[in-house]
Amino acid sequence: MTGQSALRIAGLHKAVHVGFRRRRVDILRGVDLEVAGNDVFGLLGPNGAGKTTTVKVALGLMRPTSGSVELGVPGVSHVGYLPENPYFYDYLSGREFLGFCARLFGLGAERRRERVEALLREVGLQDAAGVHLRKYSKGMLQRVGIAQALVNDPELVLLDEPMTGLDPVGRVEVKRIIQGLQERGKTVLFNSHILSDVHELCTRVAIMREGRVAWSGTVDEALDEAATLEEFFMRTVTA
Amino acid sequence: MNQVVAIAVNTFKETIRDRVLAVIVVFALLMIVGGLWLGSISLGEQGRMMKDFGLVAVTLFGLVVAVFIAAGLVHKEVEKRTVFVLFSKPVGRAAFIAGKFVGLCATMAVVLAGMGVFLFLLVWAVAGEASGMLLVAVLMVYVQLLAIMAVTIFFSTLGSAILASVLGICVFVAGQLSHNVLALTRLGQNAVTEALSWVVYVVIPNLAAVDVKAGAVGESTLAWGEVAVWTGYLLAYVVVVLALAALVFRRKEF
Ligand SMILES: Nc1ncnc2c1ncn2[C@@H]1O[C@H](COP(=O)(O)OP(=O)(O)OP(=O)(O)O)[C@@H](O)[C@H]1O
Ligand SMILES: [Mg+2]
Repeated sequence: MTGQSALRIAGLHKAVHVGFRRRRVDILRGVDLEVAGNDVFGLLGPNGAGKTTTVKVALGLMRPTSGSVELGVPGVSHVGYLPENPYFYDYLSGREFLGFCARLFGLGAERRRERVEALLREVGLQDAAGVHLRKYSKGMLQRVGIAQALVNDPELVLLDEPMTGLDPVGRVEVKRIIQGLQERGKTVLFNSHILSDVHELCTRVAIMREGRVAWSGTVDEALDEAATLEEFFMRTVTA
Repeated sequence: MNQVVAIAVNTFKETIRDRVLAVIVVFALLMIVGGLWLGSISLGEQGRMMKDFGLVAVTLFGLVVAVFIAAGLVHKEVEKRTVFVLFSKPVGRAAFIAGKFVGLCATMAVVLAGMGVFLFLLVWAVAGEASGMLLVAVLMVYVQLLAIMAVTIFFSTLGSAILASVLGICVFVAGQLSHNVLALTRLGQNAVTEALSWVVYVVIPNLAAVDVKAGAVGESTLAWGEVAVWTGYLLAYVVVVLALAALVFRRKEF
C-alpha cells in the first residue's frame, strides 16, 4: 500500500445540534488530511480541537455535514479502531470479548482461537484473559482495546489516544506494536497528547485547532522551525 | 448472519448473567408457590386455582422481565459506548437490532421454560396430575411476549428506556383488549369510530387471540387453526416492528 494514500479527508465539516433549542455547534470546520500508506501519522491538537470527531466521521460512526472521506482500503473490515477511553462489555472475560470481536469479522472457530491467543500474548494479557472486564484496570482495558482493534489484521489502524492510562512498560509495548504494524506494511493514525511518543513514532503529523488542521507536515519540518516538537505545537495552537 | 449470531450470543450472555433477572425469577417462583396456598383456601377447586394463579404469575413476571430488559438493551450499548466497537466493524444497524432481539428471545425462552416447568411440576405434585396444556399456555405467553419485546425495542430507539418500558406495558394491556374494542365499536355502527378502532387493531398486536389460558385450565375449548394463524400474524408483526426499529436506528450517530 506504500505510495498511495490510506485515508484522504477533504473539506470535512461536522455540525451537531444540541440541547432543547437545537443550537448548532460546528465541531469540524473544514478538515483536510491525507495519510499516506504505510505511514505512522500523528493527529495532534488541544482538547476539543476535533480529533476524535474526525476519526469517528472517517469510520462512519458519525455522518459528515459536508466534505468527503476516502478510505484507501476496501472497507471498514480492513480498518481497526481503538476508541477514546474504551469501555467494553464488563460481563465478558478478555478472551470472550476478543472472541466476540473476531466473530464479528466472520472468523471460524479455529482461526478465532488462534487469533485471540496471539493477540492476548501481544498485549500482555495472557494471565488476565479469563477475568471479567469489569475487574480490569484502566491500562488493562486500554490493552484489550488495542487487541480488539487488531483482531482483523487491519491495513489501516486508527488509535484514539492509545498510550493514555498505560504504565511505562505498557507504553513501550504499545510503541513496539505500532512500529511492528509499520514494519508489516500497515498504516497507523493515532491521536496523542504525548509529544515525545509522537516524535519517536511518527513521520508525519497534523495539528488540529478549533475544527481545522492548522498545520501538517513531517516531524522534521516541524523541528526545522522550532527547537522541540512541544515548542512548535505551542506556537501553532496559540498563533 | 455471522454478526447476528455473534451479537445474539453476546446479548444472551449479557442478560442471563444479570443478577436482577435472577432475583425477579426467584420472586416469581415464590409467587407461584403462593398460589398453592390460595388454592388450599378455595375448597375443591385447588388444582384450577393453582393453574389459574400460576399462569397469571408467569405472564406478569415474564412481561416485567421482557419489557425491562428490552427497553435497556440498545441504550446500554450506546451509553457504555460499546457501539463504537460494533459499528467500527462490519456490523450493520439491522444486524445489530436483529442480534439483540434474538439474544433476548433466548433468555426469555430460558426464563419462561423455567417458570413453566416449575409450575407444571408443582401442579403435578399437588393435584396428582397435570395436563400438557399448561405448558402450551406458557408457550403462547412466550409468543405474546415476543411481540412486546419487539415493540419495546422499537420504542427504545425513539426515546428513553423508561418511556419504552411504559409504552411496552401499555401495548401489552391494549393487546389484551384490542379484540373487544373492535367488537364493541362494530355494535355502535359509527363509521368513524369503527375506522379508528381498525387502526388500533392493526397497530396494536392482537395478543388475546393467542391466549390459551382459559383452555389450559379447562374453561373452554380452543380453535387450534385460529391460534396458529394468529401466531403467524404475531411473528410477522415482530418482523415489521424490528425493521422499523432498524430504520430509526440507522439514522443515529455516536
Ligand atoms: N455529540 C456531540 N455533541 C455536541 N458537541 C460535541 C459532540 N461531540 C463532540 N463535541 C464537541 O466537539 C468538540 C471536539 O470534540 P472532540 O472529542 O473531537 O475533541 P478532541 O480533539 O478529541 O479532544 P480531546 O483531546 O479532549 O480528546 C468539543 O468541543 C466537544 O465538546
Ligand atoms: Mg479526543
